[in-house]
Amino acid sequence: MRQLLLKRLLQLIAVSWGVGTLTFILMRSLPGDMAYRIAASRYGMDAVDSRAADIVREELGLDQGALSAYWQWFTDLLSWNLGNSLVSGAPVSESLWHMLGHSLLLAGAGMAIALIIAIPLGLASAYWGGWLDRALLTASTVMRAVPVFVIGLLAVIVFALEWNLFPVAGFGTPAHLVLPALTLALSLAAMSNRVIHTEAKRVFGSSFYEFARMKGLSTWQAFKHHGIRNIAVPVVAFLGIQLITVVEGVVMIESLFSWPGIGHGLAHAIFARDIPLIQGAALMMGVMFVVLNTLVDIACHYLDPRGGRIA
Amino acid sequence: MSLIHIENLSVHAGSVELLAPISLTVQKGERLTILGQTGSGKSLLAQAIMGNLPASLRAEGDVRLFEQRVNAEERQAFWGKQISMLPQEPWNSLDPLMGAKQQLAQTYHLVAGEGAAQAQQSADYTLALQGLQESGHKRVDQLSGGMAQRVAIACAMAGGAPVLLADEPTKGLDVSRRDQVVEQLMTQSEQGALITITHDVAVARQIGGRMMVIKSGELLEEGNAEDILNAPQHAFTKALIDADPVNWADETRDTRYGEPLISVQDLSIGHGKQALTRHLNFTLHQGEVVGVVGDSGCGKSTLGDTLLGVHKALGGKIERHSNAPLHQWQKLYQDPTAAVSSAVSLRTLLNDMVSLHNIDRSRIAPLMQQLGLSDDLLNRNSEGVSGGELQRFCMLRALLLEPVLLFADEPTSRLDPITQREVSQLLVDVAKQNGCAVMLVSHDPAMIHKRCDRVISLSQ
Amino acid sequence: MLALSTTQKSGLALLVLLIAYALCAPLLQAGDATTQNLSQILTSPNADYWLGTDHFGRNMWLRLAEAMQLSLMMAALCVMTSAIIGVTVGVLAATRAPWFDRVMDGIVTMILALPGLVLVLIFAAIVPGSFWVLYVAISLIQWIEYFRISRAITQRLTQSPAVQSSKLMGFGEWYIFRRHYFPAIMPQLFTIAAFGAANAILMMASLGFVYVGIQPPLAELGLMIVEHFPYYSDAPWLLAQPLAALALVVLACQLMGRGKAL
Repeated sequence: MRQLLLKRLLQLIAVSWGVGTLTFILMRSLPGDMAYRIAASRYGMDAVDSRAADIVREELGLDQGALSAYWQWFTDLLSWNLGNSLVSGAPVSESLWHMLGHSLLLAGAGMAIALIIAIPLGLASAYWGGWLDRALLTASTVMRAVPVFVIGLLAVIVFALEWNLFPVAGFGTPAHLVLPALTLALSLAAMSNRVIHTEAKRVFGSSFYEFARMKGLSTWQAFKHHGIRNIAVPVVAFLGIQLITVVEGVVMIESLFSWPGIGHGLAHAIFARDIPLIQGAALMMGVMFVVLNTLVDIACHYLDPRGGRIA
Repeated sequence: MSLIHIENLSVHAGSVELLAPISLTVQKGERLTILGQTGSGKSLLAQAIMGNLPASLRAEGDVRLFEQRVNAEERQAFWGKQISMLPQEPWNSLDPLMGAKQQLAQTYHLVAGEGAAQAQQSADYTLALQGLQESGHKRVDQLSGGMAQRVAIACAMAGGAPVLLADEPTKGLDVSRRDQVVEQLMTQSEQGALITITHDVAVARQIGGRMMVIKSGELLEEGNAEDILNAPQHAFTKALIDADPVNWADETRDTRYGEPLISVQDLSIGHGKQALTRHLNFTLHQGEVVGVVGDSGCGKSTLGDTLLGVHKALGGKIERHSNAPLHQWQKLYQDPTAAVSSAVSLRTLLNDMVSLHNIDRSRIAPLMQQLGLSDDLLNRNSEGVSGGELQRFCMLRALLLEPVLLFADEPTSRLDPITQREVSQLLVDVAKQNGCAVMLVSHDPAMIHKRCDRVISLSQ
Repeated sequence: MLALSTTQKSGLALLVLLIAYALCAPLLQAGDATTQNLSQILTSPNADYWLGTDHFGRNMWLRLAEAMQLSLMMAALCVMTSAIIGVTVGVLAATRAPWFDRVMDGIVTMILALPGLVLVLIFAAIVPGSFWVLYVAISLIQWIEYFRISRAITQRLTQSPAVQSSKLMGFGEWYIFRRHYFPAIMPQLFTIAAFGAANAILMMASLGFVYVGIQPPLAELGLMIVEHFPYYSDAPWLLAQPLAALALVVLACQLMGRGKAL
């Protein structure tokens, strides 16, 4: 466990270094006078002149050699000095916290709905099999072949444009959350209901489960005492693998529904070449990803006394 | 009172009959042993009696439990309280995430209806009775196979069922642990009835009582265990009994050995820093057959790897008196399917080796004949031949290299008893003819006694 | 060699069909995918334009084929590159000095710290609209899967009786790779490759969809979906085309990768 946490810490450092380096390369490779643009974002287009640009140039080390500029870039990053957005001029760290709240709300709601869909369907199809199993297999296969933004697009067309049940995009009311969360949930449930199915089938067919019945436990007692936990261990470990789907889904869904989360912020920043915001958003996504992974590790460790998942 | 009475019970998969109609009655206080080889349909009989056949199979016939006629579904109400079943492979039959004591206490609580505190006490008492009081907190992956089986038996009996069906209760256990398990089964069944399903003649002999012999789903003979074992009527029963190493013929062997081949002084073997066995001293001569015995986990396989130079010794000295090249120090494996690549045909594998070492091809045919391998067998891959054939193919490859030492690591333990007898005989004979020294590892002292010139015993 | 299940065969058949379309479609209709014809916008499929035209009057039959070519090429390149690198490094990590294994493990841990799509997005930001940068970024993520599987299988096999036996018989490392490691890796490789191809295509479409991938006027499935979305009520078939193409090609790959029903 300690080794795992150490590994996660290493990942946090790697995320910061990787994102920092990539955005640094991005900055150096951009055409035009970077200092001028950053100065403009800080002081407003009107107030900026070559003197202000020079000050920025010196501060960020843009006039120095690549190596010392790189060093300067990192010291800023480590002191959580993420700068201001080149577009809005607002401090990046402030908007990040705002976005993080929205992203977590979306991710949380999506995962919760996904579990509500996937757990009963997965267990039922494992227990009864037959047509329910085949229907679910087909539905899941089709659903997985369709990228998450297509599911979202179809949801928009059906629920928002045709039936006018929910708003197309935006945020503010609970109704705004429904379609994005549902889209995320469907794409997650398409995979996880099959994993729950497979694991439940494995447990129901296992020798120890049969023995639990043979030694006298009722169907329900066997499921409660020997089923749930044994199914949960691999399913939770799988959640860790699915986190990547969650994060990637969040990026796409937020862009589609203009949900003001980190993914939306990142895509927009890239489109607008807003380097400080790209760095901040990518960093936040990476940190969020590592933290969620750590939570899954801890859950696995708690559920499985044999030592948990080897990530 | 008859506890179990079945009449013309048969098992079918679609239109194929897997188990021919069979009838039996078990009275209170009786012990019944069903003897047969793996794949003979004996496990199906147990499942058909319990009423837990896989959905793809169908049972026909009459089952009466405690003089009530009950269909498969109704029998579920009897599980644990009147009739209990012990599945094969104990390490799979216990919940992998739960401690032994917890599982046992749960059975006392939920099945026998004891209060929570009382159930804990009962579990403690039972574990202590089995000498497992120290292991109550352990999960199945921390228990040995024998311990796991004893916990499983305790769980099966905890609900108070007078009738126990035990399906291969000793599979994969060392002889010493096997005896403990059989003893526990016998004690537990004194008040009720015990039905044991086994392929092991020794177990059948220990349990005694009544016996039925089954082959390919058909009943061959039944009667008193002692009578059948002493005077089998059917040829198959006879072959099965003869295949028990205890009954193998004693032979007079040529005990003139050649020069010393390898000697070890004060050898310690093990993994990492943990020594499995220390202070080994012996010398092996050319053409000598030496048995290696010891309980599982005492380092029998590690000894082989150490002697062959695959594994580093932890201490002591190994001296090779022969300067034979490395490829003449060979090994046979417990599971031949794990030791041979299944990616290409056996012929390709053989050719690979023949061309690597420039082996004289004219030696292949006679050796194959001696080993009873047909040429067309080589066209298949390792998954297309039986375990016995594959082990003989492994022997062919090893012997073509003209080995000076052959370390045979339980080479016959995965084979059925009749094949086991043939293969082990062949191994010793062919090695002797080729002047190759053999170290034969087995957990079965009887087999070592019959096949080897002398024995090295490892103890922890 | 590889025994394919019915599911896999149907996936393969579908994929062959899609490849045939992508390659042969331009031979069947004259013109090209970028010529605009503003007098012929949003026409429904007809004898001249088998799949209709888009909002600039471009021939959809040809545009869709071009988009498919791009997607399939990306998938093929990513799969080949990451499979070769992943398997080689994986087998080496399992069989060479422990320090090499630790270094590789560290690198993998670092790359995995960032969700794949985010990494690709940053790469796409550095050189916008570049096919080759996308290819490098996607391969950078995908080789890890091959690496991990090859390493795990090889690690298990190095301790196996089969490999030990071959070593005792005097066989060299290349032989052991050929006879033991590769045959064990191969079936897994096929599954990962199929899913990897699907993911590469999805990844590129996702980038096109958020407008940071391949740039117009090049035809790309994700990009086409966004471009056509505004016209969904006037010309539903137009939006349906890239959607269906994307879903079919991903489905074909996923079916192919599925050995047994999951």
